[in-house]
Amino acid sequence: MLFNEIYGLYYNTVSKILSKAIDNNLKNEDIEKIIRENAFNESNLIIPRLLKENKWLLLDENYKTPIKNKPDRPMTILEKRWLKSILIDKRVKLFMDISPDILEDIKPLFTEDDYVLFDKYNDGDPYESEEYIYNFRKILSAIKSNSPLLLSYFNRKNILNKAIVKPEKLEYSEKDDKFRLVTSGCSYLRLVRLSKIKYCKILTDYKLNNNHFMPKDNKENIVIELIDYRNALERVMIHFSHFEKEAERVSYNKYRIKIYYDSSDRTEMVIRILSFGPFVKVIEPESFIDLIKERLKKQKNLWT
Amino acid sequence: MSSYTELIKNFEKIRDYIREFYIYGFKSREEFNKKSSRSYDDEKRRIESYLEGYMGFRNSKSGKRIFINIDSRKVKANPLYRALKSKSFTDNDITLHFILMDIFVNNSKLSVSEIKEKIYINYLSYFDIEKSFDDKTIANKLNEYVKIGLLSVEKIGKQNIYDIVVDKIELSKFKDIILFFSEVGFCGVIGSYLLDKLDNKDSSFIFKHHYIVQAIDSEVLYKLFDAMSNKESIIISNYTRHSNVEREIEVIPIKIFVSVQSGRQYLIAYNNIMEDFRSYRLDYITKVKEGNVVNNFNKLRRDFAERVQGNMWGVVCNKNHMQHIEFTINIDEDELYILDRLRREKRCGSIEKIDDNTYKFKADVFDASEVVTWIRTFICRIKDIHFSNKALEDRFKKDIKDMYKLYDIE
Repeated sequence: MLFNEIYGLYYNTVSKILSKAIDNNLKNEDIEKIIRENAFNESNLIIPRLLKENKWLLLDENYKTPIKNKPDRPMTILEKRWLKSILIDKRVKLFMDISPDILEDIKPLFTEDDYVLFDKYNDGDPYESEEYIYNFRKILSAIKSNSPLLLSYFNRKNILNKAIVKPEKLEYSEKDDKFRLVTSGCSYLRLVRLSKIKYCKILTDYKLNNNHFMPKDNKENIVIELIDYRNALERVMIHFSHFEKEAERVSYNKYRIKIYYDSSDRTEMVIRILSFGPFVKVIEPESFIDLIKERLKKQKNLWT
Repeated sequence: MSSYTELIKNFEKIRDYIREFYIYGFKSREEFNKKSSRSYDDEKRRIESYLEGYMGFRNSKSGKRIFINIDSRKVKANPLYRALKSKSFTDNDITLHFILMDIFVNNSKLSVSEIKEKIYINYLSYFDIEKSFDDKTIANKLNEYVKIGLLSVEKIGKQNIYDIVVDKIELSKFKDIILFFSEVGFCGVIGSYLLDKLDNKDSSFIFKHHYIVQAIDSEVLYKLFDAMSNKESIIISNYTRHSNVEREIEVIPIKIFVSVQSGRQYLIAYNNIMEDFRSYRLDYITKVKEGNVVNNFNKLRRDFAERVQGNMWGVVCNKNHMQHIEFTINIDEDELYILDRLRREKRCGSIEKIDDNTYKFKADVFDASEVVTWIRTFICRIKDIHFSNKALEDRFKKDIKDMYKLYDIE
């Protein structure tokens, strides 16, 4: 079963409390701290009481335990089957070369014969390319070691350019099936597609200025009004569910939704809004409404 | 009257609430009409406890509205996984778990009676209270752990002899892989369980277009994958929105279809009674029960791939007649990226160059209405459009005119 107490936060938390007790330095405040950091918001009202009342015979009143070894458990079959499925995914090569002997006696939970991502874009990153794999591994290593990177990359005009950046995160979009590198420290390169990187090198001795350029949070928002017709409410709410948003009902089947998004995705947002047809109307801001109107005017001129 | 507990026995109990708070976030307590007020208060309190920091509320004329607010591009790990780590257990369960795992660190190949003796001498007698576990309780827990793979068992003479299963791989070597796939892989919560076994969980990844709400359908998805892997039919309890009822149906699971652009997940299954392939929304499936072994499973899958899949735009796969759709769009000389868009976004059909600035897309699909959403994304370039389904064509054109009105386009 996937929903099982051995994977639960209570077991994990108790495991950490017992580990500390085995080290012989467990105090009351440690218990509270471990619970606060690892369990749920109200767990501090429950776990200490059950431990102290000897409901769970694991810890005595002096915070000593008869458990002798730091708690651990083997992987379950469920975990091994999941891991096996992951290790046969084509993207796993980006991380390391996987020996076919790993988990050879384990039946995967799923394989690519079992699923279809039916609206994924067809021009995903080249996961088989040696150059791409080399760059991916270098970049991941640089992020983990906090090292600056020299990048040689193709810019929007497809001209080879260079930049020294601090690699912050690798961003992946399943819809685009592409990785992007999020950077700081460079005023002209905030985000670069991995497939556009020709070459990269870790600069071990290079010191980036401590006050190096940090990209701003470019969040902006739109407010839309929606008429719940042809199941539009459910479709819109699920479609935009990955964004931070605020929704309210304004009348019987009319809703107002404020959606926050990154300004670099404005064109994508225009397209996504248009896809819902006449059931969604943008009411704020004016600048975004103008983008929609501009497209509709062009469309009206084309329509025969 | 039962008292409130933080943990729950059945995840289905809170699955609907999490979805409502996260997807909609504007309903008041009274609008959760399927459940009692007491149930609403308890589940809201639990979810607040599980997702502290992500819950909020707004006051309105008709009452307080609870919402879960998460920008999935900002979080490194799906916060909803925490809700799946809330399974309740008994005092015996947790006590025996830690004792058994401890016993097997320095011992191997033990019978129930040997384990029972060690439990009492080394652990229970440590406390000043009278407590023991009988053979049956211990054997049940041991057998449960054999089933999930923590322990192994072999019969020696008349006795069951138990041992710990030793992991053959060093999990920490795969940490980055698990960090990545626990977010983008199916049933990613299992990856999150594995990460809980590791100390440092710092991730180098963030995710865009990340539909984290799929996490709450993990149990259903796991059972569907398991059935496909065993080539078995299943009995699903399926909620149908149109009739607002829940029905039990036996089907043969063929594939999982996922929309990475809308976050919806579907089961494509063969329905023996209707003798065709159908799609079922995963978030509408409330229960999955094991069925029977299906002897022609591979043939059905092949049949689906060869006869059906090539004409699916979305998830409709059971219409008798294909519907034709074609449209032409204007692409200026400096807009070849639009042609790239056509190529990368089309799921079936073909693209034809009509002249230097005009390209035609055409396809035969089971349900042309599924293509409409995509066609609308080309608004400002559509020169002409034809559907074999004339009613749909009229509706498409009327929708465009309604959009002009909506924005006062003269």
